[in-house]
Amino acid sequence: MSIHHFNIKVATPQRTIVAIDDFPLYDNHITFLFGESGIGKSLLSKALYGLLDTSDLTVTVNDKPYCDHLNSRWACDIRNNSFFVFQEPSSHLNPLMKISEQLNEGSLENIDDTEIMEYLWQHSTDSTLNTIREVYPKPYRPSGGEKQRILIAMAFKKLTAFMENRDADASSFFVFDEPTGSLDNRYRNLFLNLLFSKFCKRHFSAVIITHDYSIISEIYNSYRNLVPFVHFKELSRIDECKVSVDDFSADDYLNWLNKSQWTDPPVSQTADNRVLEVAPEFSIFSRNLCIYKDEARTVKAPLIINKGSVVYLKAPSGIGKTTLAKIVMGIYKSDSFKMNLCGRSYNEKSHESLWHKEIWGKKAGMVFQHADESLNLQATVKETFDALKERMTVDLNTQLNLLFKQNIIDLIINKKVAYLSGGQKQRLNLLRTFALNTQLLILDEPLNGLDFVNVKKVLDLLNKLRLGGTALLMISHNEEIFETLIDKNNIFYLSEK
Amino acid sequence: MKTGNNSFLSSVFFEKDKRWLFIWVTALCTVGIWDVLFLNKPALGKVVTGFVNTFVIAALVVSFTLLIGWGLTIALHFLSRKKNKTGYIILTFFLNILRSIPQIVGVLFTYIAIAALITSGKATSGILIFPIMAVCMSLFIVNELVDLMRDRIDHFMKLDFYNAMRVCGIKESRIINFDILWKNSRIHIFNKLIAVFGSAIFLQCSVDFIISVGLSSEVNAVTLPVTLGSLLAKIDSKQDILAIGNTLTNPMYFPNLFFSHLLGVTVAFLIVFSLVCIYHISNGYAERHRL
Repeated sequence: MSIHHFNIKVATPQRTIVAIDDFPLYDNHITFLFGESGIGKSLLSKALYGLLDTSDLTVTVNDKPYCDHLNSRWACDIRNNSFFVFQEPSSHLNPLMKISEQLNEGSLENIDDTEIMEYLWQHSTDSTLNTIREVYPKPYRPSGGEKQRILIAMAFKKLTAFMENRDADASSFFVFDEPTGSLDNRYRNLFLNLLFSKFCKRHFSAVIITHDYSIISEIYNSYRNLVPFVHFKELSRIDECKVSVDDFSADDYLNWLNKSQWTDPPVSQTADNRVLEVAPEFSIFSRNLCIYKDEARTVKAPLIINKGSVVYLKAPSGIGKTTLAKIVMGIYKSDSFKMNLCGRSYNEKSHESLWHKEIWGKKAGMVFQHADESLNLQATVKETFDALKERMTVDLNTQLNLLFKQNIIDLIINKKVAYLSGGQKQRLNLLRTFALNTQLLILDEPLNGLDFVNVKKVLDLLNKLRLGGTALLMISHNEEIFETLIDKNNIFYLSEK
Repeated sequence: MKTGNNSFLSSVFFEKDKRWLFIWVTALCTVGIWDVLFLNKPALGKVVTGFVNTFVIAALVVSFTLLIGWGLTIALHFLSRKKNKTGYIILTFFLNILRSIPQIVGVLFTYIAIAALITSGKATSGILIFPIMAVCMSLFIVNELVDLMRDRIDHFMKLDFYNAMRVCGIKESRIINFDILWKNSRIHIFNKLIAVFGSAIFLQCSVDFIISVGLSSEVNAVTLPVTLGSLLAKIDSKQDILAIGNTLTNPMYFPNLFFSHLLGVTVAFLIVFSLVCIYHISNGYAERHRL
């Protein structure tokens, strides 16, 4: 196995964005790269692939100007043989070209994509796939998951072309940046299966950037024979701009997962302890939705959360988990809905002012999915908490200490939120809501963008809150983690009627 | 390492708004020095008074536009969220009436009202006339700012940003005033105010010119503050402007413009060059902040 070592620095005229002394790239192996959001995983991969724009950025690779790297044999090779799947599929696809045309871009018209498409869509009917092929990628059609699969299909076409390449010495560098971010576990596993089946036919180099730690279990369960060809790495921060790639111990993750389980505190299931009860049927935007107790969606049940317990709400992407959370929080007006929160009933006719007077920041708080959108990026960290002073029972420093080290707090306290990394923003997003000390906490994707160390910290903190009597409603695509942590009786399923 | 002087010079050189601000101030200083040297004292006094009056009124227009605009935006936002929409409809109707009147016509009407106040003796001092003029003018400009601020509020209300703060129990007035308008829109608002400053100078000069040239002597007799617009309409300035035209057929006369016709040339230059500079400053500011 040969390893390429790269020293990379990306800077603007004002500051260094990211710098790394040794970014290892394993030839003909697959590397899974973890790390908190915003730390520089995508940027470093783009720098290596030759995708950065030097009119805005100064880039050096192995202490040489970027153009030297771009003109190197390796870079030329990978541009011919490889593919970069971008994190945000919408920005990759051209809205003015049909999907079929885009699938053939890069001299790939001779590569048959039927098999790849059929596999990724799990559909063999021509008409379904032809419909997708004839679509112009507009914002809402195809869906996010379909767009992601289209990009993956493009990458696999390129991979097929590489496998047919007779040059045995040709270098490859396939980058998949969050390829499964919009896919549920079923489609994620299809992607992994396709990836490893191609890898078995001819080895290639690939870096898969992801936050989905449950991929580790899937690989250990289904592709154990390929583990010697797989590397788990984590990008971690050394100082404000310098990062390093370290080994990520798959065993640590698997051991932690096996040991983790939250047990409900011994509280009686009486109405006195009931924090939230949502009637099983509700409708919104002319859609009728239903909450079920079983995965087969046969037993309708009200969603009940007692003091100190945690409920995990499961549903495929786009069904309406966040919508239900927003109805509970009075952000969306439903067509029909009934709930009881802390002993008081609310329904679709309840006026918005009731939520304002009784619920927001008092009985319930909600952590929104995207920290980038839900925080004021132009405010400083201190200003983010200024408006909550009256409700906070501890001072700001103590609150931040729950998820930040003191030296980091000193660095960021007067910094604009915009300048924090994605993971730091997510922790701030969580702490803002935790500071309210509400009886009910709704958490929409609380582990988004966090590295493993912080995943554990956040889960410990949530467990403490829970043991302190806070009721938690969890919405997350980290199925493996939450299915392990949460008692099966506390898992509910949402589906259309 | 960059020194303070170097960074100032590089920002003036590379940043369009700062470059044009520097050019503007330098040109004003140069013209000022030239006028002190070559313009007779009574004319110089008029130019200085006209220049100061024009820019003070324009600055007041900016201040009043900001105050009134901010107030109206907040009022419209909260009225629109009430169940009873009467207040919202009345306020929107009033603003739409103002919107339907061309700004220059509106300002002309307000001058008639100001003239009436002056002739009736209710407003005699400049200290009172200036704010009245500025308020009247800002009423016809304020819609531009209100539209911008409401757009910004609407934009943030569509994001999770707004709801995420509301469910934390943060007061709506704080979210709108501090988080949306102050923290996330002040650059947009400041850019609009630069444009308002330019509009105020343009409207004021245009209306003062029209009044001084075209209206009856009865209105003219009212002692409105001297501005660059009214100075341009004075007979001396008109002759000076005609002299500029004369240089097209008689180029040898050109140097005389800077000595014999300095009043008109200065006033025309101050108006035109200031408007050009403000336009470039506004554009450069928008480019620098990627608005």
